[in-house]
Amino acid sequence: MSDDDERGEEYLFKIVIIGDSAVGKSNLLTRYARNEFNPNSKATIGVEFQTQSMVIDGKEVKAQIWDTAGQERFRAVTSAYYRGAVGALVVYDITRSSTFENVGRWLDELNTHSDTTVAKMLIGNKCDLESIRAVSVEEGKSLAESEGLFFMETSALDSTNVKTAFEMVIREIYSNMSRKQLNSDSYKEELSSNRVSLVKNDNEGTKTFSCCSR
Amino acid sequence: MICCGHMWKSGGEDLQGFYPVRSECVADVPRTRFKSRAGKTLSARRWHAAFTEDGHLDMERVLRRIQRGGIHPSIKGEVWEFLLGGYDPDSTFEERNILRNHRREQYYAWKEECRQMVPLIGSGKFVTMAVVAEDGQPLEESSVENQGWFVKTAITDKRLLQWMLVLSQIGLDVVRTDRYLSFYENESNQARLWDILSIYTWLNPDIGYVQGMNDICSPMIILLEDEADAFWCFERAMRRLRENFRTTATSMGVQTQLGMLSQVIKTVDPRLHQHLEDLDGGEYLFAIRMLMVLFRREFSFLDALYLWEGLECLI
Repeated sequence: MSDDDERGEEYLFKIVIIGDSAVGKSNLLTRYARNEFNPNSKATIGVEFQTQSMVIDGKEVKAQIWDTAGQERFRAVTSAYYRGAVGALVVYDITRSSTFENVGRWLDELNTHSDTTVAKMLIGNKCDLESIRAVSVEEGKSLAESEGLFFMETSALDSTNVKTAFEMVIREIYSNMSRKQLNSDSYKEELSSNRVSLVKNDNEGTKTFSCCSR
Repeated sequence: MICCGHMWKSGGEDLQGFYPVRSECVADVPRTRFKSRAGKTLSARRWHAAFTEDGHLDMERVLRRIQRGGIHPSIKGEVWEFLLGGYDPDSTFEERNILRNHRREQYYAWKEECRQMVPLIGSGKFVTMAVVAEDGQPLEESSVENQGWFVKTAITDKRLLQWMLVLSQIGLDVVRTDRYLSFYENESNQARLWDILSIYTWLNPDIGYVQGMNDICSPMIILLEDEADAFWCFERAMRRLRENFRTTATSMGVQTQLGMLSQVIKTVDPRLHQHLEDLDGGEYLFAIRMLMVLFRREFSFLDALYLWEGLECLI
């Protein structure tokens, strides 16, 4: 396939943001997708979406990011959250140790419901609140290492690392996809049945998740 | 022209002042479209004229008005008590006074019962940090954040433990409820919201507390001055909405309504349905919030109340 043919193709990655209530999931997302922070934001009910794109290797890569309610009761509709997700951000609040202690539970949840996730990142949010920190950087790092996750401390409030974190996850997914069996028809079939594709092409036969030559 | 309509249209009174928004938040909230319209909106004068001398209410006439133009903010609270079915329009003033006093006593008795277990109830303060671990062990380290109060002995009673575990969740949501309204700058108003939700949760262990109930409860506290009256309006509203909040390990009540919505859209607009299927697998998850908190997040405070008034009339 020539370069010309590739230009029209799109990548669309589904990424989920999970973690305890009030750790800042929604504000991380609005900071990334719209460069906004709302100090008066409300608890998320159910699920909300945003799409943000970036360019990798001259190709447009879109991330469809699912922001979820933190309360455990909403986990009942969980399977739909995770279906087809290829990336995950597991967020805790560095000022509340209980939110860090619950990370393991969120990882279990993620592993149970999604076997398609290729990039996972542990995020310690609210790092602007250094004076009331309850979880050290080292604790975060070592948990991430033992669980095989990327790690980053962020602040949705002052923007620290937010873009970097999301883009690192997206790049990781991209490079995995490029390397792996993306070209296999069965994999494409699986992804499309998992409804990863958002954009409907005029040509019904072309799935948006496709990549490179075939 | 729309925003200054009240300047030239006699009926288009500016109602924003009834529910003031913090000045720094004005740009962040949806603009209110509801206007009080002469001859359409239920006014205080019309409302009071709908009662006979001993207090029987001509509900049909009132409902017709509400359907045409909503309720004027000056009387929303007292009208809502009838709309939500809290009082029988065929009763007299005297009968309703007796009932009201009885209900207030009942509420304050429940509140005292809860206060015995968690002294923060009714104190004007509330918790945002967990007070017990999931195994019922006290978490004393959170006592500083929790106003100095902490659980002293392990909790073994299952219902009590379930309740205690959710108190901090309620607190986390209370501080995030309608924060753009000046009303909630007053911490005692936040505490009232926490008290009512906590007491409701204690009394309804089968439903418990689910995020979104705070959005349903908040208007009641703003519209009704007496906390017990606000509780009973919330309780009434929840009778109609509670099934949406019922969760098991594998399902949420609201999914029933999502399924119905899906069927309706599939019938009236198959192309839209197909599009939504492509987006999220046709589960209509995007509508969870709309249905659980009845469009409170989509509209301004006043517009959502207007919508609710329309919905109540249809029931």
